[in-house]
Amino acid sequence: MQQQEIHNYLLKYFQANDCPIIENKPGYLTVQLTIELDKQLMNRPFYWHYLEKTGGIPNPMSLTFITNKDKAPENIKGEIIHFGSPRLHQIFDSSKKLASYIRLYENHRQFNHQTPLLPWLCLNVKISYQCDRKRDIFKSIGLQLINGKMVEDFHDRLMQVPLTPKIPDYSFTLSPLVRPKSGMTRIENYLKSVIEQDDHTWADDARKRWDQDLRLLEHFYEEVEEEENENYETEKKALQEQYEPKINISFINGGIFYLTEKAI
Amino acid sequence: MTVEIEFDSYWQDDFLHRMENDGPWGSWELFKLAIEVEKHLVIPDFEGLQAPNHLPNLTPLPHQLETAKQVIENMNGKAILADEVGLGKTIEAGLILKEYMIRGLVKKVLILVPASLVTQWAIELNSKFFIPAVTQRKSYVWEQSDVVVSSIDTAKRNPHRDIIFNQDYDLIIIDEAHKLKNNKTKNYEFVQNLKKKFCLLLTATPIQNRIEEIFNLVSLLKPGHLGSETAFYEKYKRDARSLNDDEHLKELVNKVMIRNRRADTGIEWTKRQVETIPIEFSIPELELYEAITTLRNEGDWIQASSFSVMTLQREACSSREAVFYTLKNMLQKKENPTPAFEEQIQYLIKKVEAVQQNSKAEKALELIQKVNDKVIIFTEYRATQMYLQWFLKQHGISSVPFRGGFKRGKKDWMRELFQKHAQVLIATEAGGEGINLQFCNHIINFDLPWNPMRLEQRIGRIHRLGQEKDVMIYNFAIKNTVEEHILKLLYEKIHLFEKVIGELDDILTKLEFGNIEDHLLDIFGQSSSEGEMRIKMENLSSMIEFAQDMKKGDTHAAAGNS
Repeated sequence: MQQQEIHNYLLKYFQANDCPIIENKPGYLTVQLTIELDKQLMNRPFYWHYLEKTGGIPNPMSLTFITNKDKAPENIKGEIIHFGSPRLHQIFDSSKKLASYIRLYENHRQFNHQTPLLPWLCLNVKISYQCDRKRDIFKSIGLQLINGKMVEDFHDRLMQVPLTPKIPDYSFTLSPLVRPKSGMTRIENYLKSVIEQDDHTWADDARKRWDQDLRLLEHFYEEVEEEENENYETEKKALQEQYEPKINISFINGGIFYLTEKAI
Repeated sequence: MTVEIEFDSYWQDDFLHRMENDGPWGSWELFKLAIEVEKHLVIPDFEGLQAPNHLPNLTPLPHQLETAKQVIENMNGKAILADEVGLGKTIEAGLILKEYMIRGLVKKVLILVPASLVTQWAIELNSKFFIPAVTQRKSYVWEQSDVVVSSIDTAKRNPHRDIIFNQDYDLIIIDEAHKLKNNKTKNYEFVQNLKKKFCLLLTATPIQNRIEEIFNLVSLLKPGHLGSETAFYEKYKRDARSLNDDEHLKELVNKVMIRNRRADTGIEWTKRQVETIPIEFSIPELELYEAITTLRNEGDWIQASSFSVMTLQREACSSREAVFYTLKNMLQKKENPTPAFEEQIQYLIKKVEAVQQNSKAEKALELIQKVNDKVIIFTEYRATQMYLQWFLKQHGISSVPFRGGFKRGKKDWMRELFQKHAQVLIATEAGGEGINLQFCNHIINFDLPWNPMRLEQRIGRIHRLGQEKDVMIYNFAIKNTVEEHILKLLYEKIHLFEKVIGELDDILTKLEFGNIEDHLLDIFGQSSSEGEMRIKMENLSSMIEFAQDMKKGDTHAAAGNS
């Protein structure tokens, strides 16, 4: 992530959370936190607890982020933000937490007749292949809950569609024929089949490494007396945790989208 | 394909719940931001390092990056990092830790280091790597914090021990791991019992030690890598000296060990220039020195005391204040001193009082003014340190004191004062855990330590990564004194000053006997005459030379970083 991207990201994040932007200049950004975001980001539960008990006037903090030291004025005080900074990752986590679930409607402009909106289930997931190493795959899957059509890169397609949280005038939603629960199962099965077709030499290699180390371990403890078997068991378990190949599918977010027929 | 697939069902349940209750729903902007982030955080490949992208303020050196990559990709996260001193083992460990954390393979981490390094490790991990490492101060820290730094001596004792064994650590890092070479110790047993999923052992001394020690260290990291104990000792003699003797064994060890040498790093190290500066005593100084020297021949009173003539001689070469301080102590500590003893001391004190100038200090002043740059002065004695600070101030030169006993914060503060405000830093102890002073390139060894390793540590404070200029080392020695003899016999003879740390390490481990410090103390403390001292020193230096020659023979065969 480039520094400018980080700057834009922060700006969008605070705007989306209704925080007044006090200053937005090249290289830095000052925002007034809302009470809610102060609680999320500033880690001062005692202050908020105290305030709620005493009924005082809440005074959420303002924050300055320096996104480019060279461009920001020299005397400015603030947190220097870069891709590795814990503050940025805290904000990353917060944006995930705040928008895990969503429901939106296509903001179509067809006001001359009643427009049907079709329900789409969207799941954005991260597939992780994990042994003593790891790699991830990002997948965005959309499933139309009327005819069962499944679409990849769904999120990128959604980005082209105007969306609104309130159902627009002259619109009505169609009830899903596929229930969301079974929709999720369909997507799950689809992902599994995609994974199964993937190349998994990584897992075979990890098992080989595991097996190799395990044989060494067994050889080492062959002649050792009973009482030290505890160490053997510990080591054996450690090897399993180190090497055992696993695949995790975790959700980033997802939701239900009501779209016109031509949207996707 | 038989890999188990886990599906996060929590999200699904929550989603269905919200479908039923019609919300609450998140905002589209945040939803998009979350995806944007995730696309950046996805790790596209098993190979390669992500950590450098997260560490804009750190520029790791090529050998450090290569080491991190090796450990993760070829050693499966279990390795002995045995770089020569000053090449940045901590940086390598930090990179590896960071990489695993970014990849989500490591969450819970235990870092065991010598007590004096606990704070420094925590600070470095926080400031350089943005890893929220916490020093262990309260017992709840073990459970509540993910990355804990502690001393092994604390960790192995209850109640900590039991709590630690209940934690599920993903990565264990042990600094100064060569201390675990003996498998009969409590520390060894403690580390052996820990579950080591990923594990890094850091050691400064080379592993071409006794074969037994290699076996113990490697077996701690990866039991069975060198076979079982009996099988191993059937094949290799227990008291064998060096693993260089066996190609196969060396290869095996190199599979779990990385040792970068200065010469291999491709970094242009600045030079060391050593200058010995001989200094003449003034008449009163000479009289004091001789009065002390003649004590040796005057009966047995000195043997009865715990202070040696040698100590006093060396102090006389440093400053009258140092001598005076010791004499005062001798009087105070002696129970029922005989009148003769008191008389003797008083006689010496008179001699001390007669000394009005310090020839070395004057030379130092002259040198500092000539250099006109930052200078570090090392002395063995606190009395000298205080005197020098006063003396320099009289001549308008600002200085700051530095001692190993300072707390971390004070050390950092003194370093900063030196860097920003003072011209001279006067230190009594370099200390392995001391501070880094690369911004300075002049060292005055006001008096010489007995132990050459201490000297290396002194020089190592400034001759390390980040030093841009040649390092100037000035050794002060008073002519015709024990000091000059030491310098001649030891340091000049084996060109010790030109040696860099790692090479010295190697030489010392090649020596067929234990601690060189003990030998020097024996030579200079126990010898009854200069003649005896000289002979013993000759012996020692020829052994060191012998070891050097041996080393030259197998430099290229030595266990290096493959």
